[in-house]
Amino acid sequence: MLAAAGRLGRLAFGDFLDRARRPAYLVVLATAVGLGYLAVPDTDAHWVLMRVGDYRGRYDSAYTGMVTALGAALWLSLGGFYAVRDALARDERTGVGELLAASPLHTAGYLAAKFLGNVLVLASMVGVLAGTALVMQVVRDESSSVDPVALVAPFLLVTLPVVVLTAAMALLSETVPALRGGLGNVVWFFAWLVAVLGGMAPGIPLGGLGVHQPVASMRDDLLAQGGQVSEGDFSLGLTYEETPLRVFDWDGFTPTTGYLLGRATLVLVAVVLVPLPALWFARFDPGRRGGGSGTPAGRHVAPAAPAEGARPVMATAFAGRPRTPVRPGRAGGRLLTGELRILLRGGRWWWLGLAAITAAGALAPLSGVIRFVLPLAWLWPILRWSRLGSQRHEHGVATLLDAYPTPHRRTIAEGLAGVCVAALAGLAPLARLLVAGDWPGVAAWCGGALFVPALALALGTLSRSHRLFQTIYLPLWYVTANGLPFLDFMGACRIDGALAGPSPLLFLASAPLLLVAALATNAARSAAS
Amino acid sequence: MLELIDISKVYRGGKRSLDGVTMHVRAGLLGLLGPNGAGKSSLMRIAATVTRPSSGRVMFEGSDAVARPEPLRAALGYLPQDFGVYPRLTAREFLSYLAAAKGIRARDARVRIDELLHLVNLTEVAGRALGGYSGGMLRRVGIAQSLLTDPRVLIVDEPTAGLDPEERVRFRNLLNELAADRAVLLSTHIVSDVESVASDIAVLAGGRLVARGLPEDLLRTVAGRVWEVTVPAEHAASLQAGHLVSRTTRTRDGLRLRLLASGPPVPDAEAVRPGLEDAYLAIVNQVAAC
Repeated sequence: MLAAAGRLGRLAFGDFLDRARRPAYLVVLATAVGLGYLAVPDTDAHWVLMRVGDYRGRYDSAYTGMVTALGAALWLSLGGFYAVRDALARDERTGVGELLAASPLHTAGYLAAKFLGNVLVLASMVGVLAGTALVMQVVRDESSSVDPVALVAPFLLVTLPVVVLTAAMALLSETVPALRGGLGNVVWFFAWLVAVLGGMAPGIPLGGLGVHQPVASMRDDLLAQGGQVSEGDFSLGLTYEETPLRVFDWDGFTPTTGYLLGRATLVLVAVVLVPLPALWFARFDPGRRGGGSGTPAGRHVAPAAPAEGARPVMATAFAGRPRTPVRPGRAGGRLLTGELRILLRGGRWWWLGLAAITAAGALAPLSGVIRFVLPLAWLWPILRWSRLGSQRHEHGVATLLDAYPTPHRRTIAEGLAGVCVAALAGLAPLARLLVAGDWPGVAAWCGGALFVPALALALGTLSRSHRLFQTIYLPLWYVTANGLPFLDFMGACRIDGALAGPSPLLFLASAPLLLVAALATNAARSAAS
Repeated sequence: MLELIDISKVYRGGKRSLDGVTMHVRAGLLGLLGPNGAGKSSLMRIAATVTRPSSGRVMFEGSDAVARPEPLRAALGYLPQDFGVYPRLTAREFLSYLAAAKGIRARDARVRIDELLHLVNLTEVAGRALGGYSGGMLRRVGIAQSLLTDPRVLIVDEPTAGLDPEERVRFRNLLNELAADRAVLLSTHIVSDVESVASDIAVLAGGRLVARGLPEDLLRTVAGRVWEVTVPAEHAASLQAGHLVSRTTRTRDGLRLRLLASGPPVPDAEAVRPGLEDAYLAIVNQVAAC
């Protein structure tokens, strides 16, 4: 038993070390520091992470710890999910999974080790956030005494159970074939929204995010100090404030047994979830994975051992050299076709969904098309767009293409393919806007159709991963789809029919800048290689 | 045609992969041999303009291919050791995409791709998604893409790994044929891959070029030093410990060892004609001992 636990620990720690030694991990930690900074804004700042009525707590250890821990629970359950959701895919890509599959390690044990690896990555972020909270308390200098227990306890009580559950969900989503790709990222975003909104409600099972009791305690202290606050007047998440909030003193809170049991049960649920996929997880067996015995997607063609002992086959390969002369010619159109094939190939359901959205765009009232159909149309291709700039690296094709001429032409063709996808998805709304003579709407549509693929290309090129775009675009889209106009890139938010958001020119101008950023990133990488 | 001049490559973290390698690549087949980690792939990537050298110059037909890689890229066919494909595309679509990336005229590309698919024996499966291909089939797709243009410089890194024995022989013959009128740089750690086809051989070890010459030049370095001896199995260990053994064969009379020694290792040792593998092992072993 002890030996098994030790083996699991070593596997998990090895997994953690492998991730921690990648440059992306430094970005993850830097993000944690950034989040910690955002949680404890300056007195004059116009943003706030948490407010109770028109108040915020004094930045002593208890409040600084709690507000950062609550923010961490909120953000890490989303961003953390995306950060760790690569544990099994990485093993498949690198071939390590196949080695482990051939070892005596049980599937449940393997899953447990991967889960612990996820937990370690997220816990290290929590640790960095706790450290940042301490620094921020000192920097803000509203309370001179540091109480380590009051500062750290919220991270253990509030954040840790949430990230443990997040780690389990990330692993679970990787084992479900339908959720393994980008669809899992999208599904999690909406699941997270529901969980976060529901998780802050009083009476939610297991205490949800763990917000309710601490906030109730804050409200009690605030009322005792003569402050004015109603029952539901509370927000968690970055919000803009015209005037800085007033300050009250919060002494911290003593968790009830029920609260502690709720947090422990959350961890228990995660632990129970982890071995569950052993029932269906294919253990890197290509026969059970589907798609034949071919090389797994993303795994590069590395030289296999020469088949010295194999029975010679009557192959006709390599009989004579190719004779057809080739001449240079215009290839832009074919390059674009190729990029479109790469973006659009596969997924019958995707095409059916697109057809349904197009039909809705043709039949719904114009206001509904602008408000609902267009946002939906430009959410639908998110998984396709997220391949821009990243797919050649994720599939290992870059090792071939790096030796090909005119790399900038390919980048431009890739961007244009993304624009074609935007146009295809938004075709029906565009037609309706044109028919209605809604020229500002048409301009906004054009801005969005150029901006979104350019953003995907730039982020994909920068990160060489599809995840960065998905992580940034989903909240951007969500804000607009919810009617908040300040980032409306598609003209979906209207006041009396007029565009309520920024000028379409802003997005039209951003697109070439983002394209240039992608080209510059490629050029810089090539120079530094 | 292609000149690599005093090439060094130091990766981040200070790992030196190449150290002052100078190599002129002309028409013909240059076989680049070396043990794993010798720096072969780094040198191939530099020659293919994929990686920049930390110092040194790459000249292609008189122009600096590091500062201006386009002329070399336009004339280049490159098959890396490790590459990927887009799994949802068919072989024909993938090659068509790569042909467009090479800037080949549409009609020429179509005909050439048909010819290449036939050449690599994939015509019948050319309409199948690459995701379902085996490792050997994907390697043949890689070989096809390296011949999309009529490359004046062909750089192939461990190209025969994953091919079956007959395919390996045929591919070596193809390289030999191609080398008649272009420069072919073939990197491998399988000596037999270059033995029959290379007109020129370079040996890389520890990031340095440790030998370069015609096969007969390399063979001359071990002339009179290759012996074969049959000994009982229990005596083999002492011979193996004291000499560089290039081959061991089990026979009815005991173990037959092929080894390198300046004189007969045992009285009844039989002097044999050296092979390229003997020369290669002697060179690499000598470097390792330094």
